[in-house]
Amino acid sequence: MADNTPTSAETLLNGAASQAPKTSEEIVKEYDLLPKLISHFDRHLIFPLLEFAAGQEEERAEEITKTKYELLKHTNMTDYVASLWQEINNADEPSEEFAKRREEVLQKLQQYVDETSKITGLLDDEEVVGSLRSDKIANLNYLKEQHGVTIEMVNALHDFGRFQYNCGSYANAAELLYQFRVLSTDNDKVASATWGKLASEILTTNWVSAMEEVQKVKESIDTKLFNNPLAQLQHRTWLIHWALFPFFNYEPAKDTLCELFFSPPYINTIQTSCPWILRYLAAAVITNRSRSRNTGQYQKQLKDLIRVVRQENYEYHDPVTDFIKALYIDFDFKEAQQKLGEAEDVLRGDFFLVASADAFVDSARHLISESYCKIHQRIDLKDLSTRLGLSQDEGEKWIVNLIRDTRVDAKIDYKEGTVVMNHPASSVYQQVIERTKGAFFRTQVLSSAVGK
Amino acid sequence: MSRFFHAGDSSSESSSSDEEELYSEEEEQSEEESSEEEEGSEVSSESESDDGRTGAARFMRDVSDSEESEDEDKVTIVKSAKDKRLEELEGTVRLIDNAKKINDWAVISTEFDKMNRQIPKLLQSGPIPRLYIKSIADLEDFLNETLATQKVSTKKMNATNARGLNAVKQRIKKNNKDYAKEIDSYRSDKDGYMLPEDEEQATPAEKTRKPKATFVPGEDVGDEEGFSTVGRGGKTLQYTPESILKHLRIIVESRGKKNTDRLDQIRVMEKLFEVAQTTYQKIRVLLTLISTRFDLSTGGTSYMSQEQWKSAEREFGVLLQELESNPTYVVLENAEEWEDDDKQPQPAAGERFRVPGSIVSCVERLDDELTRSLQQIDPHTAEYVERLADENVLHAVIVRALLYIESVQKDPKLQVPQESLNRIVMRRLEHVYFKPSQVVTILEENTWKSIPENIDSTIANRETGEDTGALVRALSTYLFAHSEGIIRARAMLCQVYFLALHDKYYQARDMLLMSHLQETIGSFDINTQILFNRTLVQVGLCAFRAGLIYEAQTSLQEICGSGRQKELLAQGVQMQRYSQVSPEQERLERQRQLPFHMHINLELLECVYLTSSMLLEIPLLAQTGSSPDIRKRIISKTYRRMLEYHERQIFTGPPENTRDHVMQASKALAAGEWKKSSEFIHSIKIWELMSNPEAIKNMLSEQIQEEGLRTYLFTYAPFYDTLSISELASMFELPERKVAAVVSKMISHEELAAALDQVNSAIVFRKGVELSRLQSLALTLSDKASSLIESNERTLEQRTQGTANAFERGGGAGGRGGRGGARGGRGPRTDGRGLQGGQGRRPGGGQFTGGALGGAIKA
Repeated sequence: MADNTPTSAETLLNGAASQAPKTSEEIVKEYDLLPKLISHFDRHLIFPLLEFAAGQEEERAEEITKTKYELLKHTNMTDYVASLWQEINNADEPSEEFAKRREEVLQKLQQYVDETSKITGLLDDEEVVGSLRSDKIANLNYLKEQHGVTIEMVNALHDFGRFQYNCGSYANAAELLYQFRVLSTDNDKVASATWGKLASEILTTNWVSAMEEVQKVKESIDTKLFNNPLAQLQHRTWLIHWALFPFFNYEPAKDTLCELFFSPPYINTIQTSCPWILRYLAAAVITNRSRSRNTGQYQKQLKDLIRVVRQENYEYHDPVTDFIKALYIDFDFKEAQQKLGEAEDVLRGDFFLVASADAFVDSARHLISESYCKIHQRIDLKDLSTRLGLSQDEGEKWIVNLIRDTRVDAKIDYKEGTVVMNHPASSVYQQVIERTKGAFFRTQVLSSAVGK
Repeated sequence: MSRFFHAGDSSSESSSSDEEELYSEEEEQSEEESSEEEEGSEVSSESESDDGRTGAARFMRDVSDSEESEDEDKVTIVKSAKDKRLEELEGTVRLIDNAKKINDWAVISTEFDKMNRQIPKLLQSGPIPRLYIKSIADLEDFLNETLATQKVSTKKMNATNARGLNAVKQRIKKNNKDYAKEIDSYRSDKDGYMLPEDEEQATPAEKTRKPKATFVPGEDVGDEEGFSTVGRGGKTLQYTPESILKHLRIIVESRGKKNTDRLDQIRVMEKLFEVAQTTYQKIRVLLTLISTRFDLSTGGTSYMSQEQWKSAEREFGVLLQELESNPTYVVLENAEEWEDDDKQPQPAAGERFRVPGSIVSCVERLDDELTRSLQQIDPHTAEYVERLADENVLHAVIVRALLYIESVQKDPKLQVPQESLNRIVMRRLEHVYFKPSQVVTILEENTWKSIPENIDSTIANRETGEDTGALVRALSTYLFAHSEGIIRARAMLCQVYFLALHDKYYQARDMLLMSHLQETIGSFDINTQILFNRTLVQVGLCAFRAGLIYEAQTSLQEICGSGRQKELLAQGVQMQRYSQVSPEQERLERQRQLPFHMHINLELLECVYLTSSMLLEIPLLAQTGSSPDIRKRIISKTYRRMLEYHERQIFTGPPENTRDHVMQASKALAAGEWKKSSEFIHSIKIWELMSNPEAIKNMLSEQIQEEGLRTYLFTYAPFYDTLSISELASMFELPERKVAAVVSKMISHEELAAALDQVNSAIVFRKGVELSRLQSLALTLSDKASSLIESNERTLEQRTQGTANAFERGGGAGGRGGRGGARGGRGPRTDGRGLQGGQGRRPGGGQFTGGALGGAIKA
């Protein structure tokens, strides 16, 4: 299912990188990930990305239309392809060729419908479905004996699902592939169907089931491919890319996917084959800040992120990772502030991140002020406000909110226009208590374990 | 010894049976254990394994033994002792006769041997004694008689007798064959034969020559005529194209025997090659000739002379040319030998005839010999340079052989094992990987010039030769794909080494980590381990050049911190104070030494190691010095020891060597005098050996400035309440922004109890942070208590194999690992081999490459 795009699309977009001095638009262009991402998506998944790119850059619309045409030429969405062709060639009528293609597609569709009518009919039958069990083989036997269903018919479901997907009717495809998966015992085809279903669910923006599919794909990668590390790497790379769709469009998926991406096999995949994903990961972690109540986990993710960004800095960096680096590795606040500005532009030009740009900027400011306050004792309000990219009044408000939210021990000296932080040194007694706190409990657990 | 030939086994077999026989012989005749005994027993054993093929072997031995032990020293007294000898012989014959009467075969056997030993001495002075002929003829008759009677009545003989009988039976047949003519004439006229003894003695001059000539070449003269004449006379006339193969066979069979004059054989073969007409003959002669040349130098210490090496190389070139121009013949290891010496093989059209032999082994041997000679020549002489020039030639040979093997491999019918191609690709890689790319470019250029235009390689063609990086990549990628086990690991290491040498630190590091060799290197052979060490060191040097001090220090730590750099890098034998190594081990170690041109400069290595250790240790010392409760972490023990030693000195003179420079620089840095420290470091001369010394020095200055600032803050923080950032900036000549960043970092990592005052741009040190002794002890105690609990838990977990997972370890471990992690791995070192920066990638990479490698290692 996950066939690669024709190279032409990639080269077309690659050629567009420009070298002029950096305006916000230039930055967006320079750090445009589309060429890198594109080779890891399915044709149909690229389409929304191109659509978005067309919306962003009017002057390249024609180019993008061409790319779209190249992209979809091999699919069965003949009508749309024909209209694209018209647009490119300024023709009034679509050429003969498309009519012929259309005919063929329709014929094939009819053929598939005929082939699968029996089995779909059966599966729509309440009675039949009711008597199915969880055991696939038993089900197949049952259908074979009672209703004369053959393996070929089941496989036809898979092919039909694929065809439907190619035609752009994703909901149907998802349904067909689901039915196929219930019955088939062919591992390869089931895996392919799972990928297909994931794509279909993504394209129909049915995030809940998409997440289920992500989970299924992940399991199948872990179990089926364990003896082929290269394929495992490849599939994980795909999964990571595909998962970006639910990642930034479906709130509840964020935590799960963050965890998935930070799990050792996936963080390694990111480091090895697609470091640009770090941008999304960084954005996700930073925006997670305000939501996640579990600060321990958040701190851990942040720490992991810093580590990975630091390690991969030589291989990949963009304003988002640079921001992390400036803030947490170099402690260069001026640089961090500058990078934040650039990062905002980048985020606004990114298909996946455009929605979370504001949340990102907000959280990033929090992070800056947090570590700024941690290090400083007395801060000039005016200076801090400019550092956060805010006016003085806004800055004051911001600080007040910050003090309230994070319970920092700080006071504003209005006359001087400064914030005074009070960093109490943690008392030695407290430290000793802290360190020995769990000891008793742990010893108890230990002794009971020994007793067993 | 006989890696290329199959003839070796027959000789070893017979020698082992020699021993057995000798043993039984000894049991029997314990009273007569003289050195002469051996010869007799050898004769007996060889007659046992008389299958015609070992003819030459037997002959060689006889000549040597008899000549050495007897002839030479007794020739002078021959005339006077002749009669005595004859008497002795008579005595022996009488004893045999007596024994015959009582049927005592044990005695007969002993006496018979004795008699045979006496004969050669007598032969030197005259013709065969008629008495002897008579005796052996009679003995044979008697033997046959006895055997006949024995068949009728079994069990009559006791064991000793039976053994004697058998021994005589075997020997006499053999022995009598040589004297068949005399025996016949004796038998035909028993009485008359004994009479004309005196008459014949009158013409001894002519007679003596003849038997000698017949004896010396050994018992079966048959096919050895050619050789014996060459040995004595050196006539060349008899080398005809037809007899070439026969000569070769003789030479091959004499391989590995004592007292073979190899130089002589080489001369013979050179002549043979001149007369050789057909390709087959040429190939055969060349193959034998090359391997004989290799045989010239045996043993671990001697090496092939340059002249011999050159000729071998030249002949190998001719061989390859011959093979290239005549694709009908291929030289293969698994080919069957062509047994018929008289007829030459006539391969049918379209078919390729296989000649047994090994191109790869020849190349390997050439390579090894050159390496061995380079090991032993003093590297500071002109001779070394001269010899080193041969490397170019060798490289050309390797490439050419590679091309040949590659072309042969394309023919699926021949079934060339992949392994031979791998071996030769590996050799090529090993000649390239340690050289800078300019050198390799020249090397490749010359090589391709020497190779005919029409041949090209698919593994690494002419074009890749121009770009060295691509060449190394192509070669190693080929090996990754086609080989396994040690060769694959070596290819990986070679590539990493090359990358590191060319300042591609991250690529080199990633490859090294992904290869997972650190975990398995212990199970490889020592040469590969040495290569691993070399690679590790090179990666460390590369990190240093890139300004990554921490990474450089950790990669160099294991090798340089051990104090056994020489040994670990095979760049010289370490002097052992309490010599525990056996001479054998020492010899092996000497064999492993790398030739000088491959060495990594040890002084430079030490300098880099000490400098990086200084940059890490001095701030750490300052930090732990001011707060005693922090566990004393030591980064480099070697460095600490040197520093202590240096500090103990009462008077310190101006620095002389590298070590002194670094030590004085350390002292200055510790005192906050970064300028002085940097001056000391700059005045080290050895930086000039690096490719860009100015850049290195600038990098070091910057590092010293920064670390100096950190050290200063650690050392003097307790004495200040506030410090102005601008003051610090001017003091260390750093931009204020940089100072602020460094200080922020220290504050954030809780190394410094302070905060910044933005308004006044100053550092405000917190008060009351210093702990009293009691407080710090209490903290240490609580630390120790919690680590005790942890280790208890771990023990239990191990015992129960994790089944009693009653502990949530996340809470306990998280707090501890926190600091180390935030500092980017400057925390406790978990892995001695360092390179923590990439540690996170190991598990994943493991599934990637380690799996395959792991499997290969098991195999």
